[in-house]
Amino acid sequence: MIEVNYKYKLKNFLLDVSFTMPESGITVLFGPSGSGKTSVLNLMSGLINKKNAEINSKFIINNRVIDDSINGVKLEPWVRKIAYVFQDHRLFPHMTTKDNILFGYKRCESKLNPEELIEKFKIKELLEQFPEQLSGGQKQRVSMVRALLSQPELLILDEPLAALDYKSRQELLPYIECIHKELDIPMIYVSHDIKEVLRLANYILIMDKGMVVDQGDIADLCISQPLLTQEEGASFILEATVTQIVEEDKLVELDCGEKILITAENMQPNQKIRLLIHARDVSLCLSPPQNSSILNCVPIRIDDVETDANGKLRVLAKIGKQTLVSLISHRSARQLKVEKGRDMYAQFKATAMIK
Amino acid sequence: MIELSPILVTLKLATYTTIILLIIGTPLAWWLASTSSKFKVIIESVVALPLVLPPTVLGFYLLLALSPDGFIGQIWSYVSSTPLSFSFTGLVIGSVIYSMPFVVQPLQASFEMVGKPIQQAAYTLGANSFDTFRNIVLPLSSRGFLVAITLGFAHTVGEFGVVLMIGGNIPEVTQVLSIIIYDHVEVLEYTQAHYYSIGLLVFSFVILFLTYSLNRKLMVRI
Repeated sequence: MIEVNYKYKLKNFLLDVSFTMPESGITVLFGPSGSGKTSVLNLMSGLINKKNAEINSKFIINNRVIDDSINGVKLEPWVRKIAYVFQDHRLFPHMTTKDNILFGYKRCESKLNPEELIEKFKIKELLEQFPEQLSGGQKQRVSMVRALLSQPELLILDEPLAALDYKSRQELLPYIECIHKELDIPMIYVSHDIKEVLRLANYILIMDKGMVVDQGDIADLCISQPLLTQEEGASFILEATVTQIVEEDKLVELDCGEKILITAENMQPNQKIRLLIHARDVSLCLSPPQNSSILNCVPIRIDDVETDANGKLRVLAKIGKQTLVSLISHRSARQLKVEKGRDMYAQFKATAMIK
Repeated sequence: MIELSPILVTLKLATYTTIILLIIGTPLAWWLASTSSKFKVIIESVVALPLVLPPTVLGFYLLLALSPDGFIGQIWSYVSSTPLSFSFTGLVIGSVIYSMPFVVQPLQASFEMVGKPIQQAAYTLGANSFDTFRNIVLPLSSRGFLVAITLGFAHTVGEFGVVLMIGGNIPEVTQVLSIIIYDHVEVLEYTQAHYYSIGLLVFSFVILFLTYSLNRKLMVRI
């Protein structure tokens, strides 16, 4: 478990954050600009450290104390084992790619194999080049390898894609997922881009005015924080695995606890994907309809029914082990007798795919 | 007709001064580049004083300080029995102070150019402050060092006022090129004055030319 507590006087406001984050997966720090996200990262990595600005601090990674104001612990940045991928890459301009990526590696007892990461991040051809010869996306890949080879216990990524164009961003996302899947280093990732967040996050911290105002698993938070997805009404996330490709209909069969079909291309069997579905696109019925153009009709069990801000009913239901949300009118709810514990069917078109 | 000793004294003085200035100036410039202390502005101003003060003013106060009763002279008397005034050592002390801004300012500027962000990146990769200075800041400041060394050296070679006040014009000890040219002109020996002057002119041009071409090469690499 990673425990983070900082109370720190910034120029314009007081930063007062307190959260725990899981020791695996990608934790996204999300919030408007100026809410103190980068300051939190800089405190965690020890890069800002003004003695009279700090009120208190406690930062522990898996029982290793990094900061503790009560016991006077404040580790220097170079012994924290927290690597940082900056928005502006910060590669050393006088070193080749090779010297750049080995900089941290040489300074720790790393058990990682550089060759393996060079292979995975496809930077073999870049090894002898200097940073100024690299494209934006290449620089960021090198910068990630450099950070990873220092074998950190926590990897900080501060909007690593923000300075890149759309195409480079799309190309880089899989590499970030690759870190998560294959190296199992906990990551804290700052982003403004909701699509990035929905695609990458396992856990979300929402910051506003120097405080963490909400936190939770991505799927839960999507439902409880409709504003997060910037959609009218609610949306929800379904994690699914590709089970079959139906070439002739350009359809893909998925397993998300139940079998569903989506229209998608470039998928491979066993690939894990994440669907973002708008609650208003989900309708409920008592029995599976015989003649419908909507392909997906899955059994669900109603978990909860609540009225949302616009006077519509928000129905939360279980699909397999995951939560589905449907927005329906009061009249429909009365006619169908929608209530907690009832078994029903949900119909939806799933095209909003995140990965 | 041309004496060698003023040339040797001048080169020796410039070399010693430059080496000492690098040793003192590097940490000083580093401190100035990275501190947020309120004393920074005061120290910066003191370092820059020789740029605006007439060398005679500086020379006058150095003369007082270096004399056996002066501030530096008294400290010196604990170290050595020979007096500082009108000695080569005194000349080195004067030159170090006089040429200080020409070494410290380019170094400070180049350290500031390297900037905090890249150093922070090194910290997060496990490099401590000294390691970062040695392997990131120094190589990235190579152009600053080149400029500092050239200006420090060339400026000491071209020094006149301070040397005149504290050197004493002792042949083979404190008699430097700029002084001997002055001496020759005073007694209307224009031919000799020409030899030394042309020599200095060519020498200065060559040094600056080499520096600027090397600077270009370094610029291409970094």
